[in-house]
Amino acid sequence: MTQTNRSRNRALLNHVALPMLFLTVVLLGGLRVGTESRTFIFVAPPLVTLLLAVLLVLLLVRGRLIRFHQWIASDLPPLTNVVHIWMLITLFFASAQAFNSVLPERGLLHWLFSFFFLWTLWNNQFSSFDPRRLLRSLAILFGTAFVLKHMLLASLYSPEGGWLKRVAGTLLQGVSLGTLDTPNFAPATGYISFFTLILYIAGLILLAFAGKDEIDRVVYPVVGDARRGHLPQQSIEENTSHHERRDSG
Amino acid sequence: MQSRIIQIAGLALTIAYAVFIVWIYATEPRTFNEVATSAEVAAGTYQVNQEQFNSALDLFRREQFRAARDEWQRADPAQRDARTQFYIAYSFYREGWGRLYHDQQLFKQGLEAVNRAIGLSSASPLTVDDQNLQMHSAAELKAELEQGTERNWSDVNPLKVLRTRK
Repeated sequence: MTQTNRSRNRALLNHVALPMLFLTVVLLGGLRVGTESRTFIFVAPPLVTLLLAVLLVLLLVRGRLIRFHQWIASDLPPLTNVVHIWMLITLFFASAQAFNSVLPERGLLHWLFSFFFLWTLWNNQFSSFDPRRLLRSLAILFGTAFVLKHMLLASLYSPEGGWLKRVAGTLLQGVSLGTLDTPNFAPATGYISFFTLILYIAGLILLAFAGKDEIDRVVYPVVGDARRGHLPQQSIEENTSHHERRDSG
Repeated sequence: MQSRIIQIAGLALTIAYAVFIVWIYATEPRTFNEVATSAEVAAGTYQVNQEQFNSALDLFRREQFRAARDEWQRADPAQRDARTQFYIAYSFYREGWGRLYHDQQLFKQGLEAVNRAIGLSSASPLTVDDQNLQMHSAAELKAELEQGTERNWSDVNPLKVLRTRK
């Protein structure tokens, strides 16, 4: 019964909750609220965010957050493959929209942010990651971009004159910030972006658990065999402690 | 078997959600009201508010064209009703018409509205049976608005002052 519930919950998570979560990120990632009219503005993902999303998905594969060979394989049923491909598509567009959410919409700052994202993701391609480190790194990356765009820049370009504008005005008297032009949005935009990023990171955390049954079988094959009664108890304990030592190392 | 049902249901549900998101980004509604209106248009249940339409028509007949247009825009927020768009174009024509010269800005807006009306009734030529109007078809109104925006030698003809508004 417990096994049935577990597999049912996993199926619900993998095939309903995760794609819905990523699609919600797709919906909210491009949503802004106008300053004066307080109306919705939908910003489609710029091309550069698609490139960033490709790099991020590659990083997720390299960081073993997406176990590509387990999700899409010739020995899996076709429907399962289709469902997994669909989830990857939703993840790709959610990644693009998560970047869209924290990128300034135009001007020099848009290109500066894009360049720094590209630089970071490109460098990370050559680093060794485990899922936990990768998640932590991505949370920091998006968190920093969020603070820069929705707190510092929003304050700097606020029509009412935010705290940073006053500080910058005092420090940079006579220096024009005209070239760093960026559109103004209502404060609600920042809240929407915050929840979008929280949803995206939560989705990635859930993704780490998505194929856990399969991981257990791949990472601990001997334990799996023993649980099915193919090995003696002593052998199980030896293998388990060996894997645990290897993981912690 | 149960996992298979969840897979199929999940796939259907999320594809429907994805279609909704694409539709939202394509139509770009600015408020929740516009989302509802766009949904009505997509579902084919959209109708103009008849009460506001009649109120606008009353204002139009009293030559309060701007107020009439405001009412018609509220009656047809999605700009999906050919008859309402025809009346909006007519109100631009009447307000912009002048014995010596026409208001180019209003005539251009009228032209946009009449083009919308023609576009919405592409199946059959749009005609409005209203005794208070002198032009009953959208094609006629469009020709009149186009003539008003064109510049030619007949503009300097002094007999032009004898023309009447339709």
